[in-house]
Amino acid sequence: MSTRGGPAAARGMNARFAQFKLVLLGESAVGKSSIVLRFVKDQFDSYRESTIGAAFLTQTISLDENTTVKFEIWDTAGQERYKSLAPMYYRNANCAVVVYDITQAASLDKAKSWVKELQRQANENIIIALAGNKLDLVTEQPDKRAVPAADAEAYANEAGLLFFETSAKTAQNVRELFTAIAKKLPLDQVGPRHTRPGQRAGGVSLGASGEGANTQAGGACSC
Amino acid sequence: MESLGEEPWDVVICGTGLQQSLLALALSRSKKRILHTDPNYYYGQYEAALTLQEAESFAAKHAGGSSEAEKKRSVVRNAAVWKPDDAEAQGLKFPRAYSLALAPQIIHTKSKLLSSLVSSRAYRQVEFLAVGSFFVYEPAKDGSDPKLSRIPSSREDVFSSQSIPARSKRSLMKFLKFVLDFESDDQKPLWEAHADASLTDFLTAQFKLEDDLKRYVVALTMALDGKASVRSGLAAINRHLTSMGMFGPGFCAVYPKWGGLSEIAQVACRAGAVGGGIYMLDTSATMKPSGENEKASLELPNGITVQADSVISGQETTASVQAISRLIAVVKSPLNSLFQVLVEGAPTPAVAVVALPSTPSPIYAVIHSSDTGECPVGQCVVYLTTLATAGSKHELEQALVMLVYAVEGEDSTSPCLYQLYYEQALGDRQSTTENHGTTPALSFPPLSATIAFEDSDLEAVKTAWSLVSGDESDEDTYLVFEDREGADAEDEVYE
Repeated sequence: MSTRGGPAAARGMNARFAQFKLVLLGESAVGKSSIVLRFVKDQFDSYRESTIGAAFLTQTISLDENTTVKFEIWDTAGQERYKSLAPMYYRNANCAVVVYDITQAASLDKAKSWVKELQRQANENIIIALAGNKLDLVTEQPDKRAVPAADAEAYANEAGLLFFETSAKTAQNVRELFTAIAKKLPLDQVGPRHTRPGQRAGGVSLGASGEGANTQAGGACSC
Repeated sequence: MESLGEEPWDVVICGTGLQQSLLALALSRSKKRILHTDPNYYYGQYEAALTLQEAESFAAKHAGGSSEAEKKRSVVRNAAVWKPDDAEAQGLKFPRAYSLALAPQIIHTKSKLLSSLVSSRAYRQVEFLAVGSFFVYEPAKDGSDPKLSRIPSSREDVFSSQSIPARSKRSLMKFLKFVLDFESDDQKPLWEAHADASLTDFLTAQFKLEDDLKRYVVALTMALDGKASVRSGLAAINRHLTSMGMFGPGFCAVYPKWGGLSEIAQVACRAGAVGGGIYMLDTSATMKPSGENEKASLELPNGITVQADSVISGQETTASVQAISRLIAVVKSPLNSLFQVLVEGAPTPAVAVVALPSTPSPIYAVIHSSDTGECPVGQCVVYLTTLATAGSKHELEQALVMLVYAVEGEDSTSPCLYQLYYEQALGDRQSTTENHGTTPALSFPPLSATIAFEDSDLEAVKTAWSLVSGDESDEDTYLVFEDREGADAEDEVYE
């Protein structure tokens, strides 16, 4: 069982712990969930079905001895079609990874429209990274590439995005992608109240005692 | 999911208010085919949290009043927004920097809503903040300035209070001891005969409480009419006192960051989506006439017709005459002194509650610091509520000025950067069920527009869940789930 505040607290008073909401956007089947699965569990599944049922993921990375960043990752839950989860995604998101498939030119257009929407709807200072996924396919068969890296990179620079070509399958650049985002996040704004998870800005943890509360509610019904 | 209209849905849920959303959460592991729609671009309906832009369209949509002739009235009416001409110069930021909660209810730590969020594991996606002090507004008297008096809210608190004379302390202590145990067989004889009488009279007769202390006790009941009965008042005070300290020292209630119950509705909908439910915003589903032996059909705006084995929605109109008036005001100073940590080890509170005496009914002001994420740092959002009367808008505006003056002193003549006003029906408190062909259709009543969340609002959700689940319903599994894959992988650090 996890202990909240473990890693950060163990590092003493100078430890900084910050939690950020990261949203994943992009067309269906570009590999959004695979990138997350690689990042969070270091796994890959070629036959993974459209994301249903496993869209709550968190991963913690250590930037240096004193700095731990926890990503709360919001995957699309396979709901791209109606775009109806989008308003929930934008709200309070600190960072976004917009994914396209480097073997499908149209997926970059879709990614561009997501970027535009993020810039219009999300926090003013949201950090956006553009990830061209399925690099492994192109490494095996260069003629499969449909989006030149230079083109995507030029667009990313122009739009102020971080840019990586990734392979969820081989793990190439996946960790680098998330680390680059973590480094760009406003860690210096993380005050002393943010030093422990569950204790942010007067935050209250329902975790351990919450489960106790639940047992109590079952035992002594107060209705 | 190639065609929405192809085969019948097990349930179509219309609207993403708190109750519909909690139903979606309750069904999220059921393998039911769920279509969940909302006519708005945002989640939460009457429990939504709105940017200033959304507040403007909300006000435009609900600007209409209710003529006396109308039997059925819309749940929200007489809405209006206002800001000073030079609001931006005075510090109003961009519209998305604000999140005005239409349902800013505080949630007692003992509430079943919290235990359901914990048992369903949905609580992991919500950030809860502590609700801090409760105050009573004391008008200017004998040349002294108006001020806010903090209500002591535990026995330790009473004991250490400087402002209560020793003799009064004893009677208050006696009352607190009684109320903690008021449902026991020992204590029942003391109050049961007066259960429906006025709490104020009971406090005088049984506990000889002085006027100041009675005002504290009555304020803590948070009864909007200021006239709690003995039964409901004792239950409210008991809930307040027994909730204290449950999740940590110094607070008896919590508030979900980023917009109150809106946040819970969104997290619940998200759980519904993760479970395979299909979500469509900006979509109103209209019931079509159906034959006696047919399933109900609903028409979506794109011309598609869907069939449903059950339909769950929320009541859009109400026969109820009584309403609350609510003024949501963005205030240009942070009112920091309301958010002090008073107990060692307590989290910094993000919410404070002030009761202001007023006739015919009291005004409650609930103040949210910028920690709630509802406004930029350096400002706060004040939610004022009272029972609606012809003059209540003006009274709430005055109460806001009085409140800010009592906290800030002199320089606070026009404290407000932006305000949203509306009236909300108190509702009929009952869900309604009717049949469309072979399809049962249940409508949730509007949520209680109280200061604190009322657990009774959860009952209709369970009724709807049983209706949709039918024979498969097993009460023990209601809102009790395991964590989803990966949800608690927080101890592995990626070095």
